[in-house]
This record gives sequence, C-alpha cells and structure tokens, in this order.
Amino acid sequence: MAGIEAAGGFSEMSKSLAVSVVALLAGLTLSSALGAQTSASKAASQAAKPDKWNTIPPIKPFYAGKKSAPAPRRDLSGVWDAAEADGGRQPSGALEHPALIKPRGQGVEGGQPDETGIMHPLLYTPAGLEALKANKPSGPSVRQVPAASSNDPVSQCDPIGFPGMELYELRTIELVQNANQVIYLNQFYGNFRVIWTDGRELPKDPEPRWNGYSVGKWVDDYTFVIETVGLNPRSWLDHAGRPHSEDLRVEERFHRVDHDNMELTVTIIDPKFYAEPWQGLNKFPLHLQPADFDMQEFLCSPIDIEEYNKQVGNVVLAPSEKK
Amino acid sequence: MTKPLKAISFVLVGLLAFSVSAVFAHHGNAAYDATKWITVKGTVTDYIWANPHVFVKLDGKDDSGNSGHWIVEGQNPVSMTQIGWTKNTFKPGDEVEIEAMPAKNGATIGFLGSASPTAPRKRIVINGKQFQP
Repeated sequence: MAGIEAAGGFSEMSKSLAVSVVALLAGLTLSSALGAQTSASKAASQAAKPDKWNTIPPIKPFYAGKKSAPAPRRDLSGVWDAAEADGGRQPSGALEHPALIKPRGQGVEGGQPDETGIMHPLLYTPAGLEALKANKPSGPSVRQVPAASSNDPVSQCDPIGFPGMELYELRTIELVQNANQVIYLNQFYGNFRVIWTDGRELPKDPEPRWNGYSVGKWVDDYTFVIETVGLNPRSWLDHAGRPHSEDLRVEERFHRVDHDNMELTVTIIDPKFYAEPWQGLNKFPLHLQPADFDMQEFLCSPIDIEEYNKQVGNVVLAPSEKK
Repeated sequence: MTKPLKAISFVLVGLLAFSVSAVFAHHGNAAYDATKWITVKGTVTDYIWANPHVFVKLDGKDDSGNSGHWIVEGQNPVSMTQIGWTKNTFKPGDEVEIEAMPAKNGATIGFLGSASPTAPRKRIVINGKQFQP
C-alpha cells in the first residue's frame, strides 16, 4: 500500500492500477478454481484498491519532462504542492534571501547574526535591524542560536501567520474559487485565508490579523495578484526570524503557466523595516496534484511538544555528562 | 564511569532538564554529531508518531556498548511518510538495528537526520528484515 501511495502522480498510479487489476483478476481466477478465497487472492483484492487518503506528493524529479495541457483561463483551483526538492521548506530563511553566507549545506561559519555578508543581503532600516535582533531562530542560518535560547513562536505552536505560510515552510496548499472569494487552505500547521475577489478595497487601519486581509484580482487570464495588509507584527516572515511591521504589505502573483504548473512570486513591501521591497519567492514552482489528492494533516499540539521536550528535546540539549 | 557517578549525573541532568524552559525544543541538527554514525540495537518499547518529531524508544545498546533506554528521533510525521514511514512502522517488541547520529552530550539519544527523499538514508533493520535504505 505504501508503495502505491509513494508512487503518486498520474502515470505511476495508472501503472500500479493496471498491475493491481491484473493481480486481482489472477487472484479471482485462482480462488474460483479452488472454490475458496486463498490468502493470495485476498492480498490481490486488497491491492486493487489504491489508497486515496493521506496522499504523498511526488518529489521534483517526477515532474522532469512531463507535458501538460494548456492553462485554463482564470482558474487557480486545485491542490498545489511545493515539491520537497524545490526548497519549499526554507529552513534558512526565505528562498530568495536565505540568511547564509555560502549556499545551503556549506556551513554558516563566519556568519554574523546581523546578516553582514549574506549572499543576497536585505536592506534593513535601523528599526528593521533592531526588530531583527529580537528574533532568535534555531534553524540552520547565520542567525542560529542554541535551541535553549530560541524564541521562535512557531516552535511553540503560535500561528504561522502570513506570509510565513509561504516563506517559513511552504508544503502543500489547496485553492478553491467561488463567486467572490479564493479560499486558501494551507497544510503546514493547518490554517486558511480568504482572498476577496468582489472588488472591495483593502481596509484602512484594520485590527491586525495573523493572516491579514486580502483582496485579489486577475491582471490577465493567467495571472492572479493578491494584496494583503493588516498583518500581526508578532509573526516572523521566515525561519531566519525576519521581522515585519504592522505596515507590511504583501503582493503575491500566482501565474498559471499551464494546466499542471503555477509560479508564485511573493513581494515584501515594508518601508519601516526594509529600505526596498524584496521578493521572498520568485516564480516558485507549484505542481498541480490529482483531483482526488487528500492532503495529510499537519497540526501543532502544545501537549505533544511538551512531551517531546521532556523525553527528547531537553535531554539532548542538557550539558555533557562527564565520563 | 562508575555507577554512583552515573547515577548522580543522571539526577543532575534530570533536574537541569526540568529547570530549562519547557517551551523551546527545536534543536535541529546542532545537538548531534553529524560526523559519526552509531548503530543502536535493541527491543522497541514505544513508538511516538506525532509532531514535532517521530521517535522510537528502545532498550538496547550502541556499538560502544552504551546500554540503557535509547531514543532515536526522526522528523515530523508528514516528512517521514515521504520516505515510507507510517504509524505502524515499529511496534513494541520489535527487534531493531538503527543507524543514527549520536547526541553530542552523551545522552542515549540518536537522530536520523533529514527525511528528504533525496538524502542518503541509513540502515534500519526490523525483526531481521531491512527496512531502510
């Protein structure tokens, strides 16, 4: 069963299905010959039903060379995956500006927590740099602190917020369009946003929300642009602890390349903290999943975190035993 | 290390663990020695399939003879499904051999590393059958 789930995707699933159907027929033939259901035929009949639940998206190499039908007009809907190997997880910070002085995997020695010398620097204002210092991430970057000192709110099950849900850890999302909304369902730590398409204006001086207030429109038949304001400044932008003010505005561009492919660009506009707008993601590829794809649940439980800390986290971080 | 010293240090570690803030946890790789791999052999006593990390508890020992209650941890469940793990992969009573990175502080805890499908996977044997790579 796991093999069929892991195969994922289109041609792999129909291949497995064909094999399973043959196996089932062989099994049925055998059982009628014996006049009873043998264990072989039992296994075959179970193999014939592919598991439609908790599906696992394919990794990047699966998509190489795949042809797609043309893009439908003004349609974002479906389950979209940021293939693992494309870097949706972003443990060193937003993909376009990781807090690294060398490419990922080559170490962070010589890095400074104020990000001096990172490969693609951000132009912090003095206020931005001050806010950056307060955030202490534990992931692999020049800003990494020992886990005991980290204050990453997501590690304690605080809402990931927006655009954190795209720049902190982007895995799988589902987009649903109705007459006046796009509804955005996010797998990582289970959250959602509503993007209004009824032509309303963004609110002025709204009460802050972790996921903000969003309006969206088609700028051509294949490009949907979303503006978001009113974001709670408690949330981090990414795994490296990049801060944002309450004045942050985020622009997302979802570009439907063809039927199976979308590109996502996320622009951060926050003059209070950053002297220039910057992109967290630039044409990041999202892959359409089959219509029956069921996203695995990925929720955060403070009780589970406490239990994990007690049994593993705290124990492995205690000072060395003298031997 | 002599038995009394070991007992005292175990108590001290326990006290320290208790006093450290319970809120953080996410240590990433930094707590483990990524330059060496050990093999832990033993009998599974528990298997936690939950966020933030999946972990296997076993009574056994590593190749240096460090015996006791061992824990080997992986990543979150969704990531582990990418490399074929499920909530049923281990059961109490399973005889296992698991390769892992050892904890730098000498605790009987190992780390399996990345669950990326493209990362090299280390050996896991369950009841005599190779499960990984």
